[in-house]
Amino acid sequence: MITPFGIAYRNLLRKRIRTVLTLAGIMLSSWVLVSLFGFNQGYETALNRDIDNMGYQLMVMAKGCPYESATLMLQGGKGIRYMDEKVMHDIAKRPEVQAVTPILMQAFFDPNKGENGGIAGYFGVDPASFPAMKPFLKFKKGGWFKDPAGDEVVMGYEAAELEQREVGDQIMVPEKNVPLKVAGILERTGTQDDGTIFVPLKTLQKISQTDKITTVGIKGKKDADLAKLENDLYQLPDVQVVSFAQVKQTIMKLIGTARVMVLSIAVIALLIAMVGVINTVLMSVYERKQEIGILKTMGAMPGDIFRLVWCETLILCLGGGMLGIVQAVVFANLTGVLVRRLLPYAPGGALVTIDARLSLLTLAIILVVGLLSGLYPAWRAGSVRPLESIRSE
Amino acid sequence: MRTNFRLLVLVALVLMALAPRTLLAAVGCDLNDPDRDVYRLYPGATSYKTVYTSIYKAGGAPLLKKIEARLGEKYLSLYAPVDLPFTIYEVYQGAKKVGFVHGVNQKGQFGGIQVFVALDLSGKIKTFYIQKISGPSAGKLREAGFAKKFAGVSLKDFGSFDPATGKGHGRLAELKNPAQGDTDFYGVLRGLKKNLVLMDELGYTGKGVGK
Repeated sequence: MITPFGIAYRNLLRKRIRTVLTLAGIMLSSWVLVSLFGFNQGYETALNRDIDNMGYQLMVMAKGCPYESATLMLQGGKGIRYMDEKVMHDIAKRPEVQAVTPILMQAFFDPNKGENGGIAGYFGVDPASFPAMKPFLKFKKGGWFKDPAGDEVVMGYEAAELEQREVGDQIMVPEKNVPLKVAGILERTGTQDDGTIFVPLKTLQKISQTDKITTVGIKGKKDADLAKLENDLYQLPDVQVVSFAQVKQTIMKLIGTARVMVLSIAVIALLIAMVGVINTVLMSVYERKQEIGILKTMGAMPGDIFRLVWCETLILCLGGGMLGIVQAVVFANLTGVLVRRLLPYAPGGALVTIDARLSLLTLAIILVVGLLSGLYPAWRAGSVRPLESIRSE
Repeated sequence: MRTNFRLLVLVALVLMALAPRTLLAAVGCDLNDPDRDVYRLYPGATSYKTVYTSIYKAGGAPLLKKIEARLGEKYLSLYAPVDLPFTIYEVYQGAKKVGFVHGVNQKGQFGGIQVFVALDLSGKIKTFYIQKISGPSAGKLREAGFAKKFAGVSLKDFGSFDPATGKGHGRLAELKNPAQGDTDFYGVLRGLKKNLVLMDELGYTGKGVGK
C-alpha cells in the first residue's frame, strides 16, 4: 500500500547526497543540543557529588585558623587556633545537623626537609565519625585505624608516594620523634586528601599535648535549611564558618558564562540545520513541480501535496535528530573530556549525562523547529497550479 | 549544504585530535630551589639547563628491567611507573657542559629519602645532597663531612660493594655509618647507586662505566 511516508521516503532517496548532507546538518545540531542539555544536567550532578563527597557541607573553626593543609604549609604551621570539643557537642544538638566530626590539624617543623627545614602537616580525625563522612575514600591497601587511640596513620596516595610508604611501614612525627605505623594507604581521589596524613584524633592530641580541636565538620540533614544553620553558626563567638554551598554557588556562576556560549553555538547550529532543511525541501519541490502538477490533475488536493512534502521534512528531522542523539550518547565521554579542558574548574566524574528525558526533549525541539521550517516549502508545493507547472516544461 | 558538511568534518577532526589520552602522574624528584641548590652543589658553575626524560622515552620496559637488574632490586622505586619523569640539571661553566645534578626517591626507615648527586661528565660523584630524610639518624647523614667521603665515587666502586646487603669490599665497604641503625645509611647508598645507574643507562654519563 502506498502511504505519504513511502512516497516521501522514495523522493528523498532520489537525491541521496543532498539528503545525506541535510541529515548530517540536523544530526550535528541535534548532537550539540542534546550534549548541551546533558552538560547542564551532568555538571550540576557532578558538582553536587563532589561537594557531597567532601562529606560535610559546613566547617566551623576557630577564627583565623587556616582550613586546608596547603594554607597551613604556606603559613609555616603558624596561625593554628584551637577550640573546645564542647563547641562540636553544642552544634551536634541542632535540629538541622545530621552528623559532626572533630578534626585537629597540627603542623610540625621538620629540620631535615630541604635546605632550611619544612613543615609536615597531620590531620587528627575521629575514627568513629570521620570515615562515615567520607564514604568515597577507598583504600589501595590496608584500612582505617584498628585502635581509636593507636599509634597509626592512614596516608593519602600522594603522601604515601612522597614518603615511599607501604602498609606496615613506619613514619616519624618530626619535632616529637614519635613513630607511627601505616595502617592504610588511600586510592587517589584528586582532592587534598591525596596529600594528607590522617592520625587518630586522640593520638594526635596526645602527641600535641592538647585536648582541643581546630575544626568541626558538619553534615546537614537532607531537607535541612543549611543557609539558616550557616547564619546561626555565624553567631557563635570566635569561630568562622566555611560553607561548601557558597563554593558551589560561585562555581555555578563561573560556569554560567560558558553555558551561555555553548547555548549560543547550539542555537546557531540549529538555525544552520533548519536553513538546510528549507533549502533541501524547497529545491526538491521546484525540481518536482511537474510531478506535483500531474498529481493535482489526477485529483490530489493542496492538503495532500502539503502533507506529502511535510512528511519529507518529518523524515529528515526524525532521522537526523535520532542520529544526533545516538552520536551524543556514544561520544558523551569524549565531549566531557573536551569540555573539561575548556573549563576553569570541572568536578570529577561524567560531565555530560544524557538520559531518555533529555533525548526526547531534544527530539521534540528538532521536530517542532524542523516542521516549522518545512511549512513554507510544503505550502509552496501545495499551491502549485497544475496547468502552469505542466506547461513550464 | 556544503557548509554543513565542512563543519561536520571539522568537528570530527577536532574531536579526533582531542581524543582522551592516558594521563599518568607520579612524584618525580626535583630540587626545591634549583637556582640555589645547583650552584651550591656545583661551585664554579655559571649556568644550568633543566632537561626531562623518562625510562619510557629512553628505552621502555626492556630498559627498566635492565636498570632493575643492575640495581639488584625488583622495583626501581615504590610508586615509580616506567613513564616517571626524571629531572636532570645539566651544569655549565661558560658554554662548556661540566656535569649533572640528578636526584632519586629512595625508601628509608621512617619516610622517603631524596638523594641528589652532583656528577662530572664521566659519572664520578663530586658531592651529594639529601634533600629529604626522616628519623633520628637524618641529621648525621645530612652532614657535609659525610658527603665529602663520597667524592670521586663511581659505578666501579659499587661493582665491589652491594648497598642492598652491605656486603663487599673497597672504599664503600670501609665507610662507617655515622648514624644509628643501618636502614637509612644503606638507603642513602642505594640512592647513590640508583642515581649513577640511571644517569649511565639514560646515556648522560660514560656509558658502560662500572658494568
